[in-house]
Amino acid sequence: MFKGLGRIVIKEVKEMTRDPRILLGMILAPLIIFPLMGIMFSTSSEAVQESLRTMSIGIADFDNGAVAQNLTNFLQYYGNVTLQDMTAPNINEIVVLAQKSNVSAVIIIPEGFSQSIAENRSGTLQVYGVFRGGGIAGSVGFSMVEGLIDTFRQSLTVQTIQQEFPQNPDFVLNPFKVAQGSIVQSKPVTVPPATLFSIVQSQLIGFPLAIFMLIILAMQLAATSVAAEKEEKTLETLMSLPLNRFTLLIGKLAGSTVIAAIGAVATIAGVIYYIGSFTFTGTAQPSLDLGAIGLTPSPLGYLILGISVFVSLLCALAVAIVVSVFAEDVRGAQSLLGFVYTPLVLPIFVLMFADINTLPFALRILMLALPFTHPVLASQAMMLGDYVTPILGIMYVIVFTLVMMYIASRIFATEKILTMRFSLRKKKIAPG
Amino acid sequence: MKYRTVFRVEKALAVAVEAKALVKTYGNIKALDNLSFNVNQGQIYGLIGPNGAGKTTALRIFSTLILPTSGSVIIFGHDVVHEGAEVRKLISYLPGEAGAYKNLSGYEYLQFMGYFSSKSKEDLDKLVEDASKISGLGERLKDRVKTYSTGMKRRLLLARTLMNKPKLAVLDEPTSGLDVLHAYHVRGIIKQYAKEYGVTVLLSSHNMLEVEHICDTVGLINKGRIVAEGTPAELKREHNAANLEDVFAEVAGLV
Repeated sequence: MFKGLGRIVIKEVKEMTRDPRILLGMILAPLIIFPLMGIMFSTSSEAVQESLRTMSIGIADFDNGAVAQNLTNFLQYYGNVTLQDMTAPNINEIVVLAQKSNVSAVIIIPEGFSQSIAENRSGTLQVYGVFRGGGIAGSVGFSMVEGLIDTFRQSLTVQTIQQEFPQNPDFVLNPFKVAQGSIVQSKPVTVPPATLFSIVQSQLIGFPLAIFMLIILAMQLAATSVAAEKEEKTLETLMSLPLNRFTLLIGKLAGSTVIAAIGAVATIAGVIYYIGSFTFTGTAQPSLDLGAIGLTPSPLGYLILGISVFVSLLCALAVAIVVSVFAEDVRGAQSLLGFVYTPLVLPIFVLMFADINTLPFALRILMLALPFTHPVLASQAMMLGDYVTPILGIMYVIVFTLVMMYIASRIFATEKILTMRFSLRKKKIAPG
Repeated sequence: MKYRTVFRVEKALAVAVEAKALVKTYGNIKALDNLSFNVNQGQIYGLIGPNGAGKTTALRIFSTLILPTSGSVIIFGHDVVHEGAEVRKLISYLPGEAGAYKNLSGYEYLQFMGYFSSKSKEDLDKLVEDASKISGLGERLKDRVKTYSTGMKRRLLLARTLMNKPKLAVLDEPTSGLDVLHAYHVRGIIKQYAKEYGVTVLLSSHNMLEVEHICDTVGLINKGRIVAEGTPAELKREHNAANLEDVFAEVAGLV
């Protein structure tokens, strides 16, 4: 029954990989664009770091007291900041000086500042950030100034407390400590929940994104491979061969899957490189063994997850083929697919941010009816060792896919695949 | 039931294709209107008529691509509607507007297509070798199809159609869009294959002059039905015409 399947798959793969549109758009582009974005990002973040190393702050000291002196010393030697004297008769002139220079901020120490602190009264320090457009460098620079001032203020606090409680100033600041932990699968672990959430969330976002890429790629390829046969007028010849039409259908699905998998690997590789280049802003995740606290799927879990993704992929391909039958050429197929993407891919985005059980009932049913909800749910359930949800999901997607495949094979087995185009063309040339 | 089968086999010995009262409608448009004709084995039969006469629709039915609204077609004893898979083993179809996979080389294309009608690796090699000769493309077969001219592409496709020496070759406008040289080559190959390998050929054309040179029998088709049939010589004699174009003009009521 499947005589010639291998030939068709090879032909599909050859045709697609030699098509510059597919080769460039689906395989090379992600390999180039993501790393390129990464390089640009890291270059610009290096520039930000460089500007921080050479950061300057304007200072206008009307106080000339001990605290003011300590602050300027602290900024210069501890904060490694270049200070520019901006003492001027009034604020307007200080502003003019700041604007002309390259300082990130101006600190104005008013007269009597040191005096009031010495008398146990709060003084006021005026800090102006110099806004020069919305670049990251500006905001990072200003928050660094804030951080330095905070540190300085804290050291003053400790000094004050030390005078009153010479034995144990730390106790006054921290009368008690909080030991954070999380409960995972009915077991306590010593990992703070915030850390756990941030790690699990990065996986929850990463995995659906990868599925999303794979599904979109596969659908485009499958639709293109059918539509191209129409556009290039090769379909009729193919259909008149002694070749089982179901085999032809399967061959097209398999060929698209192979290319989509290569494309997905290229995309993921690109994205990983891209994320890897966030050396500056990426807050270093404390290394945490998710396996040790029971938050990784078992080998069986991975297998079920794999099956879930695979059946969803087949489902996407069958949908794409059914859609492409209605198109006359590749361009038409692509634009028809555009309508299908939204309802199919929406669940992936919804589930990134919301728990399915918290959604309103109607929306939940709608989400469960869409086949692409299930691999995402499976990836979440796997992490918690729940195998029932994924298996039910797989069963549903298989039924959905079989219906789609049945429709696709019915279309392939009959004249519809040709006449749909035929009737379209007929309409165009018929004089009326 | 038994009688019917025997009858069919006997018919098949002499008749390769038997089309009976074919009707095909697309919505309100009647593409075929009670079309009937027979093609004898080893014959080159030309279905001749203007654009829109129903030639392509008829050939698509013979090639099992579309189904008739009513009527029947028996090809070597097999019904195109109920025994499509069997029919596809016997026929080879060259569509009118066919293309070839443009990112494959001509050679790869022949290998891919030949596979489906070959029984073994050796068989396939032989088919591809024959097809290379028919195409006359020589070294250019190694180039991608997208670099071919219209004429080269058509020759490649014809070579693909004839390579497996089908019992019935269904050729839709085999020389359309070709210049004199390419058309001459293509006609020569068709004649040669019919003669040497006993391939029955059913072809369509709107070029009424060229078919005189190549067809044993022609059926003039207009508005979905046969309006005159016979050898080119017979038709010209009967209608006292200088060529088939004049015959067609007369039977179609154009003069």
